[in-house]
Amino acid sequence: MMDLKPAEWVRHAVYHPVEGFEDMRWKKSGSLKIAFLIVFLLFLAQIADGRLYGFQFGVAYDKTFNIIPYIVQSIVLFAAWVVGNWSVCTLLDGEGTMKNICIYSAYALIPYIVQIFINLILSHILIRDEAVFIQAISIIGTGWSAILLFSAIKSVHQYSFGKTIFAIILTIAAMFIMLFLLVLFMSLIQQVYIFISTIYTEISYRIRV
Amino acid sequence: MLVCSCVLSGSFVTSLTASAGEPYDVYNYDRWGEAIPSQAGYIAERTVSGYDLGIGAFDTPNDIFYDHNDIFYIVDTNNNRIAAVNSDFDKVIEVYDKFTMPDGSKTSLKKPMGIYVSAENDYMYIADSENSRVLISDRDGNVISEITKPVSDVYDQKRTFLPQRVIADKAGNVYVVLNNITTGAAMFNPQGEFTGFYGANRVQPTAEIIGNYFTNLFISEEKKARRARNVPTGITSFDIDGDFIFTCTQSSTQTTDTVKKLNAAGNNIFANMELSFGDYTPMYDTSQNKILKPAICDIDIAEDGNINVLDFTTGRIFQYDEDCNLLFITGTIAKQVGGFDHAAALESRGDNLYVVDSQKDTVTIFAETDFGKIVHEATALHNAGYYEEALDPWYEVLKRDGNYRRAYIGVASALLRKGDYEGSMKYSKLADSPKIYNKAFEGYRMNYLKKNFGFMVLILIVIISVLVYIRKKLEKRRLAAEKARLDEQDQLAILDRQRRILEEAKILTENSNNDDEENGEEESGYDGFKTR
Repeated sequence: MMDLKPAEWVRHAVYHPVEGFEDMRWKKSGSLKIAFLIVFLLFLAQIADGRLYGFQFGVAYDKTFNIIPYIVQSIVLFAAWVVGNWSVCTLLDGEGTMKNICIYSAYALIPYIVQIFINLILSHILIRDEAVFIQAISIIGTGWSAILLFSAIKSVHQYSFGKTIFAIILTIAAMFIMLFLLVLFMSLIQQVYIFISTIYTEISYRIRV
Repeated sequence: MLVCSCVLSGSFVTSLTASAGEPYDVYNYDRWGEAIPSQAGYIAERTVSGYDLGIGAFDTPNDIFYDHNDIFYIVDTNNNRIAAVNSDFDKVIEVYDKFTMPDGSKTSLKKPMGIYVSAENDYMYIADSENSRVLISDRDGNVISEITKPVSDVYDQKRTFLPQRVIADKAGNVYVVLNNITTGAAMFNPQGEFTGFYGANRVQPTAEIIGNYFTNLFISEEKKARRARNVPTGITSFDIDGDFIFTCTQSSTQTTDTVKKLNAAGNNIFANMELSFGDYTPMYDTSQNKILKPAICDIDIAEDGNINVLDFTTGRIFQYDEDCNLLFITGTIAKQVGGFDHAAALESRGDNLYVVDSQKDTVTIFAETDFGKIVHEATALHNAGYYEEALDPWYEVLKRDGNYRRAYIGVASALLRKGDYEGSMKYSKLADSPKIYNKAFEGYRMNYLKKNFGFMVLILIVIISVLVYIRKKLEKRRLAAEKARLDEQDQLAILDRQRRILEEAKILTENSNNDDEENGEEESGYDGFKTR
């Protein structure tokens, strides 16, 4: 019963929003490699969405290309979600390990990524009047992913419905706190760097004189 | 570098001496609102002072007006006179400093600020500021009537009446911009009776003003009276073009309503168009350590409908077409010809622009360049709807300035109209205009489908049949594999069964052997017994 290959498990999880992740948990299945691949695809999807979108739907600012926002939008955001969820749910009697949270959440992102790629192709075929199709696909894909993500968190921690919502809200709060600390830390590092570089410049001038 | 190229071109081709003589870098804005180098549309030809005209130096001239008789009027404020000059700016036609009142007495001007000459009745309307009146006179200096501070409930009598600018519409209504009045221009009917205010600016809803609104809800009346009130900045100047009055507002804080196009009812047609006049990104002046926010001090509508606005802070003239697309940026703050100290007023005549500087006491004359001529021609055709006729001028513009975005839009529109969708797509991409691209793409897609529909259907059928075939094949293979697996299982099961039977048989035989042994023993015992 349910002897599936890792790739087949992905399919099973995506097509069975309610039971899929439960089955996966039951069979202790899921591959970290595939999870990372999915996050990488998300990263590519974000870039493609920003740069290769059909011209009739808007112009991308193409004078410069900065990859940092795309990394933040995909990889950093996902990492913050996983770490945030893990830290919150460890305190809330969640059963999921960091590895499982990462795998299940990544699997849940698939409809969203697929939606981006489908819309990317459609944006080169459709005109503005037909943008409603793109909107519909976007809503379906995002909604599907949201349901999957909910189901994933519910299964991985073996939570009830209400507790899952609670955990997700707390996770988002945790993500904000983490990002805030990160920004704080970065600006601090910057200050320290400026301080050190100023001292270095000062000393180097003195030595020269 | 500019100077260098000017010298070079000047030394080789004498006719090009004025090609790059501006004391500033000519620029324009791209789609992203970023300044990019461009070709000059206007070039400063010369400056004219009062000495050049033989009437003594101007002193703080504040306004200039070009009338229907081909005459320029320069309002020489501190000399209390108005100079009428011919259109070539080499001969003074008349200097108005004394006027004859209807009763025969003489009257003189005191700090006049503005002038308007009506094409309908040939009257001069003079904003005689310190005399607190608007003088209406014929061109021989005979005063027809004067407009003074109105006695009306609408006009607060505590306020002064200091006319700054004046215009009159076709019907003879007179509009007067007043100093320190923020409720718009005062409007008078042809009989000189005050009829109300016209075209007040809106208050910009900044955070501070919204905050003040809520504070005002809770504080007492006495306190409220002492607080700064939220009033919009008053109109600075205006110009009339047919049925529309264009106003501009010079303010360092206000960014809405800096330029308005008002209809007869006083409604602003530009109100909801999200337009921006002056520099998009305010220039930062390192020598003064301050940001030079645009402050538009005068506006002029050219005969071809182009809108010229004069920015006081940067000394730049921004020229827009009638749809408010930026065409050219000219001028700067500088001592050289083409630069201003204190730009005060702007007027246009045909291809030329005239700017009055109230500090340099001169009039600077700008002439249209070849590039400007082509752009104007193309813009006029384009705005009139003659897209295809505008195509050649636009191509010519692109030859001279490959950064000129309007030209790409023009070419893309023209090609779209012609039905050359692919070309239109190419140029609309270069113009960064998704709107035109969308239309061009729609046509392109339609043509593509029409041409390739049969072929595409064929491809589709082939693909589907191949897929179906592969699927069937796979299914067959799967079934075969399944069957083989089942067979194997069966085989295994048979083997298993055989093995089990064998094992059972073996156990049985072993058991029987044991039995035999036991029997043997018994037998042997028996034997023994027997033998015994």
